[in-house]
This record gives sequence, structure tokens and C-alpha cells, in this order.
Amino acid sequence: MFDFTDSPVPVREDIKEAYRAIWMHFANPGPVFDAPQRSTVLAVARAARSDNTIETGLLPEFVETLATTLYSDPAAVDGPIVRAAADSAGDPAAVETIGLVAMLSAVDGTHRALGIELEPLPEPQPGEPTGRIASGLKRRRTHIPMPQGAIPVALDLLPEVGTAYRASFGPQYITGPEMAFPDFERSPGLNRAQIELVSSRTSLINECFY
Amino acid sequence: MIHARMLRESAIVFGYDLDLAAIAQPGIPIGIPGGGALLRFVDAVLERSEDRLDDMQRAIIDELGSESLVDAAAVFGNFEMMNRVAEGSGISIPQQAIERETEIVDALGLLDLIKG
Repeated sequence: MFDFTDSPVPVREDIKEAYRAIWMHFANPGPVFDAPQRSTVLAVARAARSDNTIETGLLPEFVETLATTLYSDPAAVDGPIVRAAADSAGDPAAVETIGLVAMLSAVDGTHRALGIELEPLPEPQPGEPTGRIASGLKRRRTHIPMPQGAIPVALDLLPEVGTAYRASFGPQYITGPEMAFPDFERSPGLNRAQIELVSSRTSLINECFY
Repeated sequence: MIHARMLRESAIVFGYDLDLAAIAQPGIPIGIPGGGALLRFVDAVLERSEDRLDDMQRAIIDELGSESLVDAAAVFGNFEMMNRVAEGSGISIPQQAIERETEIVDALGLLDLIKG
């Protein structure tokens, strides 16, 4: 899994390990959804960018809409789409969906950028949802309840989702502490200005103001 | 917007003559080593153009090295994720911050991206 044998260039080990950890996270029950439901979220999201159709029935309709739109056309996601999912399945289900689709988009995005086949989705593991949901959070002019802070804490209504999401920053981009250094360089590799050039252009084409 | 600000800060540290407008208009020289190839690489991935992607991967390898292609692909993946968390969560940038960064907002045409 994630051996990247078809990559045009060797891939760093920390990236491989980060993606294996995300796949492990995907395979297990989440805070709200069991593993088969999570697998369905991921499969319908991917299918939205292909000619494949997925028989679901495991997900509320508005959750499916959130998953497919967020994966295939993120700029089209707005308050009503997220609220419809939250109203039908609950805020935690909406946040879990956002987390699954966002992390899938990272892994698939890196594969597409390398021009290689996507990794098959992991086999769902047995077990009940964990039920680990933070209490006391509210919407802060946001679509979902979240703590005060910036985008790294946006998924912290579900602590295990927030942890899995943040763990991927360092291998893919830079770590939180490294953010403070405008002179950061991977050696060999890109320096901070080149990294932020890629991030800025990606965000602009994705029509993401943030 | 936040990462364009980080780009501007980092370009100063590295002594680059950055032209922010090139982020929105890749035909303009950006003033960063390999910058043109990196911009066109992102476009090729998002346009799903396999031929163009091959060319841009080769350009990055030739100009910056194979490790830089891996870095660029992973940063692209990371921001495919971050953009979706931003859109899904609805997190916004305070109006004061937008007003402080008029150079970036104007250069990138960001006001057009604010959702009503």
C-alpha cells in the first residue's frame, strides 16, 4: 500500500507513512459513521469525478450531496449544502464527511499530480462508531461548530478527525512550528517561497479565498 | 490570501523580486526560481491534461530536481485538502485582514471569490 512504484520520481518515506495512516483512519469506525458508511462516503466522492455510479443507501441524501460536491467542485460548497447535511444527519456527521473527503482529496491530489493511479480504498473494518465528539463548541460565523482559531482546528468537533488531518501537514507541506520560518527549505527540494507559490496557485484555481 | 502573504514574506527573505500578479496570470514572470514551471504544473493537474502534466513534471525535474517534483505534488495535495476544509467549514478571513492586504486582494482578484 502506497509503495508509489509507478511514480516518475522516488517519493519521501514520510509521505508514504502519512498516507498509510490516513488509510488506516479511513478503514476504522469514525465518531459517527461505522466503517462501511465511511467507505461509502469515500466511494461516492470519488465516483463524482468519474463515469461510475455507486449504489448507496447507507448515507442520508444530503450527506452524499456534501461528499460529492466537496470532492468534485469545492467552490460550489456553501452554507446551505453543509447545513442540509447537518440538519439531516447532525453536525458531527457533516464534520466527519468534510474530514473524510478533504483527506481523500489530499491523497488523490498528490497521486494525480504525480500522474499515477489512485490507491484503492481500504477494506472497512468491523466495529461501532467511537462516539468521541467534543462538547461546548458552536458556530463562529462558520458552517460547522468549531473552536476559536484558524483552519488547522476547523475539524476539532471530532478530535480524532482533527488529529488525523493535522498529522498530514508536515509530510505534505510543513509542520506547525515550521510555519514560523519564511526561510524554511527542504534540502534537496522546494524552499518556502516555492511551496507557497504552489499553495497560492492551487487555492486560487480552486476559488478558495482563504 | 493567507498563503500569498506567506509567499510575499518568504520571497523577501530569499531576496526574490516577486510579482504577485503572476499567481493569477502565469504568463507574467514571477521572479522565483522554477516559479513558472510550478505554476503551470498546478494548472496541468487541475486541468487534468496528461500530456501537459508530463511536460510540466519534466520541467520541474530539469529546473529544480526530482525531489522538488515530489514536494510540489504533496503541497498540491495538501491544498486540495485545505481548500475543502475551508469551503466545508465556512471559515472566513476577518474584514480588517482583507483591508490590510489590498495588494494581495487586488493582484489576485480575490474579491470576486467572496461568497454572498
